[in-house]
Amino acid sequence: VSGSPRRRPDRRRPTRSRGIVRPVRALVPIGSAVLVVLGWGVVAHNSGAGWVQTLGDVVAGTLLLGLIGPAVVLTRTRLRVTAVPTDATARLPSDIAVVSSSRVRVTPVHPPGPDRFVGPAGGARPAAGDPVTLLPDRRGVLTWITVDVASAAPFGLLWWKRRLRLELPSELHVGPKLGPPVVLPRQEDDRTGDSLHRSPRDIGEPRGVRPYRPGDSRRGVHWPATAHSGELMVREMEGPTAEPVVVVVTLPVDDDAAEVVAERAFGTLVALFDRGTAVILTTTEVAGPCTGAVSDRRSAGRRLARAVAAGRDSGPPDPPRRTRSREVAAPAAFEPADGVLVTTGERPGMRTP
Amino acid sequence: VSLLDTIKRANRPGPPEHSTGLRIACAGAVVTGIVACRAEGELSWSVAAISTVLVTVGMYVSFRTRSRPIGWFKPLLALAAVAAFVWFFRQLTGQELYDVSTVEDPLALLFVWIQVAHAFDVPARRDLAFSLAGSASLMAVAAAQAVSLGFGLYALAWIAFGLWGLVCMWGSASEGGRIRARGLVATVVSVSVLGAAVLTVLPAPHVAGRIDFPANAAGGVGLPGAGGLTGDAGKASEPAKAGSPAGATRVGGFLGFATHLDTALRGSLGNTVVMRVRAQRPSYWIGETFNIWDGQSWKVPVKTKTTVLYSGSPFPIPTNVDTPVVNDPPAGQSDLQTFYMAQSSPNLIFHADDAADVWFPARNIYLSGNDTIVSPIALGPGAIYTVRSDTVTPSPVELRADGGSPLSPSETNALASDLKLPHPYPRVKALAEKITAGKTTTYAKIEALIAWIGSHTHYSTDIPPLPPGADTVDEFLFGNRTGFCEQISTAMAVMLRSIGVPAREAVGYVPGSYNPLTDLYEVQGKDAHAWVQVWFDHYGWQSFDPTAVVPLANPSPGATLIHDIAGALRRLPLIPLAVVLGLAALTALVLTWRRRRPATWAIAVSRRMERAGARAGRRRRPGETISEYASALDDVSGDASGTWKALAWVIEESAYGDHEASAEDRRRADHLSRTLRPGRHRRRTGTGGRGGGGGGGAGGGGGGGSVAAPSSALVGAAVSPAAVPVPRRDSPAAPADDGSPSTDGDG
Repeated sequence: VSGSPRRRPDRRRPTRSRGIVRPVRALVPIGSAVLVVLGWGVVAHNSGAGWVQTLGDVVAGTLLLGLIGPAVVLTRTRLRVTAVPTDATARLPSDIAVVSSSRVRVTPVHPPGPDRFVGPAGGARPAAGDPVTLLPDRRGVLTWITVDVASAAPFGLLWWKRRLRLELPSELHVGPKLGPPVVLPRQEDDRTGDSLHRSPRDIGEPRGVRPYRPGDSRRGVHWPATAHSGELMVREMEGPTAEPVVVVVTLPVDDDAAEVVAERAFGTLVALFDRGTAVILTTTEVAGPCTGAVSDRRSAGRRLARAVAAGRDSGPPDPPRRTRSREVAAPAAFEPADGVLVTTGERPGMRTP
Repeated sequence: VSLLDTIKRANRPGPPEHSTGLRIACAGAVVTGIVACRAEGELSWSVAAISTVLVTVGMYVSFRTRSRPIGWFKPLLALAAVAAFVWFFRQLTGQELYDVSTVEDPLALLFVWIQVAHAFDVPARRDLAFSLAGSASLMAVAAAQAVSLGFGLYALAWIAFGLWGLVCMWGSASEGGRIRARGLVATVVSVSVLGAAVLTVLPAPHVAGRIDFPANAAGGVGLPGAGGLTGDAGKASEPAKAGSPAGATRVGGFLGFATHLDTALRGSLGNTVVMRVRAQRPSYWIGETFNIWDGQSWKVPVKTKTTVLYSGSPFPIPTNVDTPVVNDPPAGQSDLQTFYMAQSSPNLIFHADDAADVWFPARNIYLSGNDTIVSPIALGPGAIYTVRSDTVTPSPVELRADGGSPLSPSETNALASDLKLPHPYPRVKALAEKITAGKTTTYAKIEALIAWIGSHTHYSTDIPPLPPGADTVDEFLFGNRTGFCEQISTAMAVMLRSIGVPAREAVGYVPGSYNPLTDLYEVQGKDAHAWVQVWFDHYGWQSFDPTAVVPLANPSPGATLIHDIAGALRRLPLIPLAVVLGLAALTALVLTWRRRRPATWAIAVSRRMERAGARAGRRRRPGETISEYASALDDVSGDASGTWKALAWVIEESAYGDHEASAEDRRRADHLSRTLRPGRHRRRTGTGGRGGGGGGGAGGGGGGGSVAAPSSALVGAAVSPAAVPVPRRDSPAAPADDGSPSTDGDG
């Protein structure tokens, strides 16, 4: 996947000045270079010395190369994302690996992130790529990122930059940050003070396997599944009282408000997971309403990453685009403050996500 | 407060620079600048040595203290810099200032001390960049004085250090980025090309305006004999002597810079650079003029009137008292020339026509009756003087309008020695009159004579010796008509005199080769020349060169470079070069062919198969086995008999099975792979079928019965149970229902 500007621009998400090479703070370097050349010319003219002019020509050539060389370097530079994690959390750093054909400074724009130098250093090119840190400011599913690529090669006299869109080799699910959960109904033994000592359910009929959670018994580890997945997996038992809890998340249209609702929903889901409760999550995705069981943080985070506001016909919110401040309009059937409704019982229209 | 903040912000130390390469490159550039200034005489040895050591020590101290700079260093260095500026301005006090060239020596010293002080406080990259830029000022000061190509070594070293420093700067700025060898070569080539392009585009930096013209005696000692000529025999203080056949070869090899110019002699003119000239335009640099001709030699009058000029630089050159007054002279064009002596030279002050002012490092100079300017001191290597000429260069139209009328008595009297001939020269006069018949003006006569000389004589320096007692002009015009500049110009002068036109002989140098790097004309010994000066009423003495009638063009650096490159290309030994290039191309071709040729028979046949398939529009896909590809080709060509498949099977048997195809199989497979064409398969197979129809053989031809002859012939041979072992599990067994062979033995 190349970051070449020759790729057809994405009309759905246009990026300004994509691919155009522009100088950065050019006034001082160019003005200084012009002053040096003019001064040199005055000395050459007054002294009438050919060597002054000859050296001045070399200096002028060097300055010229130093001023326009980075544009050529940037035009020829090819960037590629070689590795990307499958999951990330909003407002927490996440590293991806980028390979560049020459040494450039990469500044993530969408999602944002600190600038890093990537490319051959010390004459060697790292095979796996250099890390670039992303700091996504909200949840979503990323298939590409936008970066500013800058270079001042070969002399470091003037920086030029260009904006590129880099395709990710796989989707990056940016889940919401863990927010405060909604108030959950108390369980029967909550009053007894035993809730903290409640052990995960280890009796009943085996239903499947799930990733290990703190507190799981080591006897419940399913070793064949662990060996197969490379992750510690435990048996999941379905008890006779395993009535699923249905969490309905309705995101408002406003992106900032939707982020807050998603964070609360995620906090609620994690609290339910900690109780050992089976959870069915209902969200709205681009394709329509989606209802399905979620068993751990990862699956919940991915579902919430894909969630959109009801009636929204596009994908997850676009992080770099600043949304206009709007009042959150939540349906009256739900708790207006957070858009998260926790109920019990089967939900109609259940669809596997 | 805001200003204070701004100053504080500007002086805030940057992050420490850890790159030793950048530090070494900056120190190298500064030291190169210091050494270059010393080489051009801007600095004394002691200053150069001390500053070099201090810069090196300073850079080392800065490197060691880069993370924690010594606090009291900065104020101390600032004080040192202020002291250097105070010293500089005190040096300038009382000195008449014109421009930067008048303050070069103290300026060089100031730059050096600033660099020394700065070297102790360069902890950050920005400080090192200032050092690098400061070294450029040192190089500029040195380059302003440089006149030889030797300065190119310093220039190259400084450019190398500078580029290294800049590349290291980028490496440091990009946290370890380094330019690879290919990029470095591209950088150097780009800088060279861009620099050459700028050099080509820009005009030459000619001296303009009012400046202090350089003059340097270079230790020249005073000479005995007022106005006498010296220094033509390798020693500046030796009196000049007329050349003789047994005499030593003089500096530059020219024998004419003396009281006699013997046209029967020719020195051995060499390539030694005798002087360099910085001038606004190329000219003939006149050294001396002769007006007495004796049939073999030109001489200066024994009792010539010599004028002593005492005024000091600039010496105004008066109109010679022996020359008639020019009637209503036009204003001349100012032409500045600075002469840098590279060898011991005669004490002649060379100049372009119509010298007006001379800047010379002596209290007085001499002006002889022949307009020859003579130095009172010996002119050795390093001597410098400047001449300003008010050159009158009338156009041919103006010259045609001048003259033609007979000389007045006063003119005739004043120019008597320029009309005098040692004997009547009847044949020469008759020839000159014949050539100039019908020409009324002096210029027309000159044109006619030059044209005749150009078409009837030949230039050669290898001429037979002049017979004893013979006249040079008679021998040249009515003998072999071959000679060099002295014979040619003398013949013209004598012809002009014979028809009453005043003329005299001038000797000096042609402009020499223009060096675009130094912007100097480099005059070599072989540039010594002789030409004719002719008197015009309104323009005075005008030079004409019958030896080279082509007018001189004013060169530009770019045109000169292009001309030099074109000349170098023309001089290339084209035939040997073509032979070598041809052999190299042939070798490369053979090597390429050897590298690309298929290693085995199976590969060769499979490639032919792929080519045939590609022509039919079905290329082999990555990961597609040859057998799969053959099946696809059969589909494309509509060949139900599976000819391609059979061929692929033979290839795979040869490549992967432990079975080498027989010679007959190979021959047939080769034939098939060459002749089969997808899409024309039926026609081809039909033809082939008639040729090989009996090839069904023991194992082939079973099943379908619609087998085309070539494939069945090939197949029959290939799958013979006696010849083919049982294929491995992954060997393609052709399906039995398509007429192809099957190892199941149902055929």
